[in-house]
Amino acid sequence: MNKVFKFLGRDRDLSILGLVTTAVIVVLYLMLGSRLFSLGGLQSMSIQVSEFGFLALAMGLAMLIAGIDLSVVAAAGLSGVMAALTMSGKFIPITPENESQIIVLGVTVALVTGLLTGLLNGFIIAKLSVPPILATLGTMILYTGIGTAITSGSSVSLQVPSFAKLATSTVGPLPMVFVMLLAAFIVVSLILTRTRFGRKVYLFGENEVAARFSGIKSERVILMTYAMIGILVGLAAIVIIARANSMRVGFGESYLLQAILVVVLAGFNPLGGKGRVLNLGIALVLLQVISTSMTAFAFSPYAKNIVWGGILIAVMGMNHYLRAGAPRSRRTEPPTETVAIALEQSRR
Amino acid sequence: MTTRVLNRKMTPMEKFLLAIMAIYILVVASQSPKFFSLETAFDLARNGSGAMILALGCLIVLISGGLDVSFAAIAIVGGYSSVLLSRALGVDNLLFIITVAVIIGALLGSINALIIHFFQLSTLIATLGTASVFHGTMVILLGAKTFTRADVPQSMLDFGAFSIFTIKEENSQYGLTIFFPIVVAVGVLTWFLLYRTMIGRSVFAVGSDPESASRIGINILRTRLFVYMYVGALSGLMGIIYFSGLAYINPAALVGTELAVIAAVVIGGAKLTGGEGTILGTVLGVVLWQLFQNTLVHLGLSSSFNDLFFGAVLVFMLGFIYLRQRQANKRALVFTSN
Repeated sequence: MNKVFKFLGRDRDLSILGLVTTAVIVVLYLMLGSRLFSLGGLQSMSIQVSEFGFLALAMGLAMLIAGIDLSVVAAAGLSGVMAALTMSGKFIPITPENESQIIVLGVTVALVTGLLTGLLNGFIIAKLSVPPILATLGTMILYTGIGTAITSGSSVSLQVPSFAKLATSTVGPLPMVFVMLLAAFIVVSLILTRTRFGRKVYLFGENEVAARFSGIKSERVILMTYAMIGILVGLAAIVIIARANSMRVGFGESYLLQAILVVVLAGFNPLGGKGRVLNLGIALVLLQVISTSMTAFAFSPYAKNIVWGGILIAVMGMNHYLRAGAPRSRRTEPPTETVAIALEQSRR
Repeated sequence: MTTRVLNRKMTPMEKFLLAIMAIYILVVASQSPKFFSLETAFDLARNGSGAMILALGCLIVLISGGLDVSFAAIAIVGGYSSVLLSRALGVDNLLFIITVAVIIGALLGSINALIIHFFQLSTLIATLGTASVFHGTMVILLGAKTFTRADVPQSMLDFGAFSIFTIKEENSQYGLTIFFPIVVAVGVLTWFLLYRTMIGRSVFAVGSDPESASRIGINILRTRLFVYMYVGALSGLMGIIYFSGLAYINPAALVGTELAVIAAVVIGGAKLTGGEGTILGTVLGVVLWQLFQNTLVHLGLSSSFNDLFFGAVLVFMLGFIYLRQRQANKRALVFTSN
């Protein structure tokens, strides 16, 4: 027992998050009971969380290196569209014999497209020094644009029936896509905590300049991180097209806000260097449980927006007040030279 | 009075935008002789006016060092609520509708400012949150009914159809909408506030360095309130212009356009780190964006290509500016980013 307390005391974010999540689940269990927590209910929740989970994990990685990736959803859309085109039979006719090859090809296309989008982001951020938020704002519009230009904005349906089984098949009681998500979380977590690269990611996120002077090749850290983000985006695209059996650009636009929300909720600092994959998993559970139960209560999807936006502000605000000794601006000291210069410049 | 703006040297961004625009216009004009007409210009003025108003607001936020993504939601909330109010009260008066929308917008903006100031939040995250709260609350309280032409207040229909002058041709007529002078007025007002008032100077100072700004006695809260209320008020105005122009009221409209507006302002040279940005750059950025949005048909391209062109130019220009900055930093032995 003592060990448990010690463990919880070490990570305040984890303790608070775990406590809130447990409380929410208990309350909802008492209110909804088996409607939510039957085997079928849990399975459908785990399927729903899957496609979004990859995107949230990608966003979390970006925030670890003091970045943000506004392009994740657009990149997933583009990867999905490319894969769906491959598997639509428009370019390569599909016969029962070559179906499995086509599926392999389609999955590869999704992963490669995802990787390329990530590498482009990484290149712009690392080699051209564009701030991540601007770089990914630009590529978000670009990826959406490429996808829309290819498809004329319409939806592309898949013609490979056996691929849809990915969304319905299970491993034991667990849906296949959820197992994929779990695997991704474990792999990313291991990379971050057990490898030299992971250590560098945290160091770089904590202080970019210090990391550079301690001999970390910062450009490579950025590139590799965005490459990982790209692969996760490709995986998200695979799960999305398996479930929807079609793809169009603009799918899941609301995921962007949710991804930022869930990552911040999990204690990741937008300024970089802080955040644990385990916490992100718990935050995902919390969000999904709330979302599913709001559907069960028959609230409108807009109510969900209010709750999510409200939680985002509340959590950030709480973090601000909990942060020990947060410095506040003082107003008593004389003007500094820099601001005098700034004022002078603005006057010109 | 305006000579100083006209005489100042153009920033590299502005020159670039002008160059790209000139090339684009030459290419389009060579492909389609119809392109060079007043009709095209008037069309652009009509379609781009809403975006221009939002962009001018966005410019002020960027100069203050913030990033607001809630203005599209505020435009819809302001516009939609004021139309509902006008219908409920039976007041079919344009001035009333606009005033209500502007006031609602400014109020919502002040909520943004207060949250950002007192929670010391990243402005992006705060406004992401408030955007969904504002829009969600509106839909829950007021519903999400769309209004077709028959239900739009008459004064708004008249407003949307009003032209300052019309040119008649054999079988068509077109004119310059009333929106255009409004946009010009907003531009001049923004310019005046930014460069000719104390509060405008505070915006630059806060954007450059909030800590130093507060030390020379600039009230940061007041500056932020001004910035976000101004953006909110402009958004409210834009909501009415947008609905009037369409003659159709849809409470789910505009959502998702905020990032494109920010992008247009950013390629105009506004720095995300605050303290920098010009009205001319913003205007050029929006015009270029609107050119891609509205005139690709003259090249025989469908509207599916809109984002592709804009995105490509955006990525290219961002890469170019920051690469130059990076090389300058390297020479000057500056090791922090930006």
